Amino acid sequence: MSCNVLVVEDSRSMRKVIWKILRLLGFELGECLEASNGQEALDILESKSIDLILSDVNMPVMDGIGFIRSLREKNICRDTPVVFITTEANEDRLNQLMDLGARGYIRKPFRPEEMGAFLSRIMGETDGFRLGPGVEGCDF
Amino acid sequence: MVSDWDPVLKDVISEVIETMFFSVVEFQDCGRGDRSFDYESEIELQNHEGRMVISLQLSEEFARMITAGFLGIEEDQVKDEDLLDSIKELVNMVGGGYHARISDVGRQLGIPGVWRIGPNRTHRAQAAVRLDFSFFEEPAGSAVLSYLSG
Repeated sequence: MSCNVLVVEDSRSMRKVIWKILRLLGFELGECLEASNGQEALDILESKSIDLILSDVNMPVMDGIGFIRSLREKNICRDTPVVFITTEANEDRLNQLMDLGARGYIRKPFRPEEMGAFLSRIMGETDGFRLGPGVEGCDF
Repeated sequence: MVSDWDPVLKDVISEVIETMFFSVVEFQDCGRGDRSFDYESEIELQNHEGRMVISLQLSEEFARMITAGFLGIEEDQVKDEDLLDSIKELVNMVGGGYHARISDVGRQLGIPGVWRIGPNRTHRAQAAVRLDFSFFEEPAGSAVLSYLSG
């Protein structure tokens, strides 16, 4: 079973890198959806079923905090893990994300295996999120 | 101004370039302000006292090479828009890494910007500290740290 993933990131290059890493790590991807800010992501989520959301924090139009707050207020994707991939270092803002229900965050820069280990732990080894060889055992 | 240079920023630049752009740079002991490069990306860390600005100026060759490394493609496949976006992401990561290490919770990371350096573009720095870096002895770029009040 493959998983539908939404990447919310204003950098087109970073979106490409995230997809490449997910494929390299052996994630079985279904629909690969992209948004360049939180508002675009909300629009997509009105009509799509998503298994995992990977989001930046600092974005124009609607940032990551606004995005996850809207998800909770509108009761959208209540059970979908939201993981932030961010340069954000402000602990208050990171704690705010966690309080709003984020499953975790990965700080940039990161190594692909670190991201794999983190997502593996977040998602568990469900049918949809089997990792390829060489990733297990990496610590984050 | 060399003595004012913050070694933390040097470490962050090295870490980001090595970890996500799969390259290495060597820093010179002193900056040469007369060197001009092709691209500049910039991010602000601001608080109530003013803005700290981190700027990275890169040569075309180095920018193209690290973009290829970042995206996992060949250099001749790098499009100009990918190059600009990638070096914007570079300064974004450097700014975030620097913010994390200086532990200044009062500062907020801004949205990064990027542009090609041209005759009409001058730097806004009031008190800039500059450090050049190279890639295998070829000038690759400069990092500029400056402070703007208000």
